[in-house]
Amino acid sequence: MEHVTPNEARAALDSVERGRRQVIDQIALPYWYWFGLALGWIALGFVTDLKHPWLTTAGTLLFGAVHSAVAPRVVDGRHRSRQVSVSRDLAGRQTARIVLGGIVGCALLTIAGSVAVGADGARHPVTITSVFVAVIIVLGGPQLLAVVRRRAARDAGR
Amino acid sequence: MTEPRFDELIHPSTRLSIVALLAAADWAEFAFVRDRLDLSDSALSKQLSTLEEAGYVDIERPVRDSRRRVRARLTPAGRTAFDGHVAALRQIVATSDPEQALV
Repeated sequence: MEHVTPNEARAALDSVERGRRQVIDQIALPYWYWFGLALGWIALGFVTDLKHPWLTTAGTLLFGAVHSAVAPRVVDGRHRSRQVSVSRDLAGRQTARIVLGGIVGCALLTIAGSVAVGADGARHPVTITSVFVAVIIVLGGPQLLAVVRRRAARDAGR
Repeated sequence: MTEPRFDELIHPSTRLSIVALLAAADWAEFAFVRDRLDLSDSALSKQLSTLEEAGYVDIERPVRDSRRRVRARLTPAGRTAFDGHVAALRQIVATSDPEQALV
C-alpha cells in the first residue's frame, strides 16, 4: 500500500466513480412503460367522457389492474436494460415513490384540468386534458428519472 | 464504517473498474461489462477468471431466449474487499490532503 501515491489513489477512485456512473446511467424505466401509461391515460379519459358510470368504473379498474401487474417489474428503475440489474442500494427506494407520486400528480392535474376545460364549455373535457397530461407523461417521465440518477450519483459520492 | 484494507488483487485499473461496475449492480452480463469498459472478450474473460478464483466474483450462465449468456456478480467477499479497498484509497488521499479528510 505504501507504494501507491496519493495521485494514483485519486486516479483509482476516479475509475471507481466512472464504473459506478456507468451503472447509474442505467437507472430508468423502459420507454414502453411511459408510452403505455400515456395511451392508457388517454383511453381512460375518453371512456370517462362517455359518461357511463359503470364503463368509467370498469375502465379505471382495468387501468389499475394492468398498471399493478406491470409496475412492480419496472417501476423501481433497476431493469431498463436486460444486461444489468442496478443494485437496490444504488437505485434507492425513492424511484418507485417518485414515479407513483408523479402518477398521483398527473391524476390531480387531470381532474383539475377537466373541471377547468369543462367549465369552458368543451364537449370532451377529460379527453382533452388527458391528451395534455399524456404528453407530460411521455416527455416528463424520463426527466423524472434523470432526477433520480442525479440523486443516486450524489448519494454514491458520499 | 468500512475498515480500510488495500487489496492488491483488485487494485490494477482494469480489475478495479470491473469490480466497481459490479459493485453498483446486482449482476451484469458479460457484454455489458465488456462494452462499458471497452475491453476485448479475452481480456475480460481473463480478469473475471482471476476474480472468480479469488472468490470475489460469481459467474453464472443462465439460458434465456434459448441463448446462453454469461452473467457476473460480486460475492459478499468481493464486496467487502472492494469497500475496504475504496476506504484505503480514500485514506491515502486524505493523508496527503487533510482537507479531503473532512469531506
